[in-house]
Amino acid sequence: MTVRVDPENNETRALLDLVDFTGKHVLEIGCGDGRLTWRYAGRAKYVTAIDPKADAITRAKENLPEELKGRVEFHQFTFEEFFAISKPSSFDSIIFSWSF
Amino acid sequence: MVHALEEVQRLLKSDGYLIDIQPLIEAPLIKIYQGNRIVFIEPDPSYDYEEDLQQADVALTQVIQRGLFVIERRSEFDFLTHGSSAPELLAFWGKAGAGDHISEEDPGEQRIKEVYARVEEIRQAAGLGAEVALHERARIIRLTPNLRKEELI
Repeated sequence: MTVRVDPENNETRALLDLVDFTGKHVLEIGCGDGRLTWRYAGRAKYVTAIDPKADAITRAKENLPEELKGRVEFHQFTFEEFFAISKPSSFDSIIFSWSF
Repeated sequence: MVHALEEVQRLLKSDGYLIDIQPLIEAPLIKIYQGNRIVFIEPDPSYDYEEDLQQADVALTQVIQRGLFVIERRSEFDFLTHGSSAPELLAFWGKAGAGDHISEEDPGEQRIKEVYARVEEIRQAAGLGAEVALHERARIIRLTPNLRKEELI
């Protein structure tokens, strides 16, 4: 398959124009298969990424780049499930990624 | 959605950011490119989530009006997904989870297949190297929490 998602990097540019992730703990809600996560995670201190779709999370874990291992974790959670187990004031940035 | 945004406010540090990325409330466009030239444009027939987007916008407006968040910056961008063929693009979005709401019995499903089949015919007629893309407009907003944490306890 030769599908290319945002090869122009328009989304990444728009995101990095708004936030400096350097040294930040980031929560990404609706990470899917990690396609956006890879593009900013290298700048962050740590990324917690969640999505309710099991197959997407499986692909994200399988495709996690070597250089991001130990800095990115993927979990299959709805946001309600994740909120229920999370402590207040835990994150520097939260990305609501195409979750509607 | 309002509850989710309330929870996001709780999980954010007081100097943190919420970044909200959503498509604009308008149908994505299927485009066929031959090199840099666009040879075909048609609205995507699978677009049926306008109401969901409107509800998300309403929820965001509500939490802003309640003072939970303040919008600091907003911008828009083009979001394109390129495929070497229309069936490939359609299969990709199915795998990515878009169209989860469409059942096999859905009359809209047949129309989607027909449109993408026609797009593929046009793409092939456009010659070697022609590719298809789904073009969405999206907006990105940076918000900051607007309440002191102690007010929430």
